[in-house]
Amino acid sequence: MSDDIAVGIDLGTSYSCVAAVLDAAPQVIPNEWGERTHASVVSFLEDGSVLVGNNAKKNIITNAENTVYSAKRLIGRFFFSDEVKKAQAVMPYKIVEGANNSVRVEVRDRVLAIPEISALVLKEMKAIAETALGHEVKKAVVTCPAYFNDNQRQATKDAGRIAGLDVLRIINEPTAAALAYGFGKDISQKICVYDLGGGTFDVSILEIGKDVFEVLATAGDTYLGGDDFDDRIMGWLAEDFLAKNGLDLRQNKFCLQMLKEAGERAKIEVGRDGVARIHVPSICQNPEGEVLDLAQTLTADQFNRMVMDLVQRTFKVCDEALQSAKLTAGDIDAVILVGGPTRLPIVRNSVRHYFQKDPMTGIDPDEVVALGASIQANALLNREAATVGQSSYLLDVTPLSLRVGTVGGFTEKVIDKNTPIPIEKSKTFTTSRDGQDKVKIRVYQGESNKADGCELLGEFEFTGFRVAARGEVQIQVTFEIDSNGIVNVAATDLDTGQKTSTTISLSSGLSEQDIRNAMSQNAQMELAGHDQKSDDMELVEPDQSL
Amino acid sequence: MDAQFIIEVEALAQALDQIDYFGVLKISQAATAADIKEAYYRESRAFHPDRFAAAPSLELRTLVGKIYRRINEAYTVLRDDAKRRRYVADISGPDRMRKLRFTEAEESQVKEEQKKKIEEQFGQTPNGRKFYTAALKEIEAKNWGAAERALKSALMYEPTNPKFREQLTVVEKARPKDEAFRIK
Repeated sequence: MSDDIAVGIDLGTSYSCVAAVLDAAPQVIPNEWGERTHASVVSFLEDGSVLVGNNAKKNIITNAENTVYSAKRLIGRFFFSDEVKKAQAVMPYKIVEGANNSVRVEVRDRVLAIPEISALVLKEMKAIAETALGHEVKKAVVTCPAYFNDNQRQATKDAGRIAGLDVLRIINEPTAAALAYGFGKDISQKICVYDLGGGTFDVSILEIGKDVFEVLATAGDTYLGGDDFDDRIMGWLAEDFLAKNGLDLRQNKFCLQMLKEAGERAKIEVGRDGVARIHVPSICQNPEGEVLDLAQTLTADQFNRMVMDLVQRTFKVCDEALQSAKLTAGDIDAVILVGGPTRLPIVRNSVRHYFQKDPMTGIDPDEVVALGASIQANALLNREAATVGQSSYLLDVTPLSLRVGTVGGFTEKVIDKNTPIPIEKSKTFTTSRDGQDKVKIRVYQGESNKADGCELLGEFEFTGFRVAARGEVQIQVTFEIDSNGIVNVAATDLDTGQKTSTTISLSSGLSEQDIRNAMSQNAQMELAGHDQKSDDMELVEPDQSL
Repeated sequence: MDAQFIIEVEALAQALDQIDYFGVLKISQAATAADIKEAYYRESRAFHPDRFAAAPSLELRTLVGKIYRRINEAYTVLRDDAKRRRYVADISGPDRMRKLRFTEAEESQVKEEQKKKIEEQFGQTPNGRKFYTAALKEIEAKNWGAAERALKSALMYEPTNPKFREQLTVVEKARPKDEAFRIK
């Protein structure tokens, strides 16, 4: 059946990529212009249409307030989090607070939730695939950083639904990369995936046993990525400009965007050529009305010194992952680099030094995740697998410990980090007052025994059990982490065996109704630059026009 | 799909709460770490939910999901030496049927044990501990006079603490006589 296809989508902080298994081989699907990766940038145009991708990226300067980028840094986060505060300071688009401490962006008098923005990027990937394949695409596997928590995964899944996709699975980016690397190779190795993306850093240690891909441990930093490298160059350029001209370019959001673009370009250039000649003509005007240029030269040495501490931070995370896997760097048979910033010599050399091994070549760090996702997407549609087996099995883990809140602002661990998923764990709770008719449980993720140091996933309220004296009612609460890494909670009254009902007060996510509303609104948003394949177009018979 | 397999899935899902983790992974209690991993991979190939993701029967998918979660649970406990030891002790005892599923020592229990250890090491009262740790620092720096004063203060809070007394005798011996409470 030709229409039974599922694509793999790498939804990145800076760039996204879509792939599918075609003629039994995973392949990246380019857009009409042959571009294989697409900027995760959404620009809202004056005529109400929406531009997504590399063309939208050009609007970051000219249509700054209405062009949203790096939305992934905000997805599934609380409005009060540091990451959101930081984004508010530097992003040219308006970030506002929504219900339940959620984050919204305001563009052209419209207020959108972050999953709605990501949905537009996914919709673009869907459209690219549909144009290339010539038929509708409804199903997808979407990737997310391994270190994403439940809120961030749920929000990613919501984004897929809003885009009109049936998200078969959320898989971890490093796991997808490992799958693309080891699929069909019949190897038995211990490998490390070093995934430095635009906004996040992940490291996963896997053991590949032919068709089985077992994640031994994963660790990460969702506040570290290529963007931070750009920031260092930006900061340096701005300080230098301030010293020379007495003007701080960072004070003006327009100049800031030019500066950011210059920073990103310089990073790529210095990585490729060993030196970057930065020249931004007429970046600003001084009070005398004189138009000023930004001109500088960045050498590899200067750049390396600027970012050395960032690179060092990644190895702390590697240490942590290796320790959890009970391995040392010497036990690793192969190192796979993922993400654009891993093209930088400073990163490659440091990785080589740390593992005492050359990282694998011949793997495109920008495309490998989407390729892996497409292999998984294809596998999940395989009806024969039930009888003959899959060609690959992903055995992944949960990156963070699952905890419940206890008295005094403390938490207690329910499921350890790096536990294989899907998994379930039950815990018995009891009532503390006579006649109590509900029990509230707060669920957290994180490694601190204090609630403050963890991320709140939600508050679950159980009702509908027997009403009795305190301590008499025993409620068994089962916490399940599914194959997507998403947490589900169910409760049973132990004496009666009756399932109690659950209400979840969402922390920052979207309610079912929110998603439905977003889906219908999203369906109306037209993606610019695509021929909208409408029914009436097919009605036109070419002969009649002659 | 062959009928044999469906029967096996139904029987296994039914029996899950009656078998221990070794039974879940189909290995003996003498299994080595390598045996456990091999069994985990074998059972994963048989019962991984991805294998049945496209299977039309919801019932089958539900049963497989239940089995696979237990396989992961079994592997999580048996691959960890400390947990495995505790588990084997649990299922070898009279409470076997109640302990087929591993229960972690409660974090509060662990903390209680840690607290006890600290109390044994440094004293039972906060002030006793405070002076005692201060004394240990002074001893290390060979400030005998200060160490003696700190230990005597610690003993005010815990007069019978044998550790405090023991250290005090050590300090009194080590301290040069002329240093004793010199008045400047």
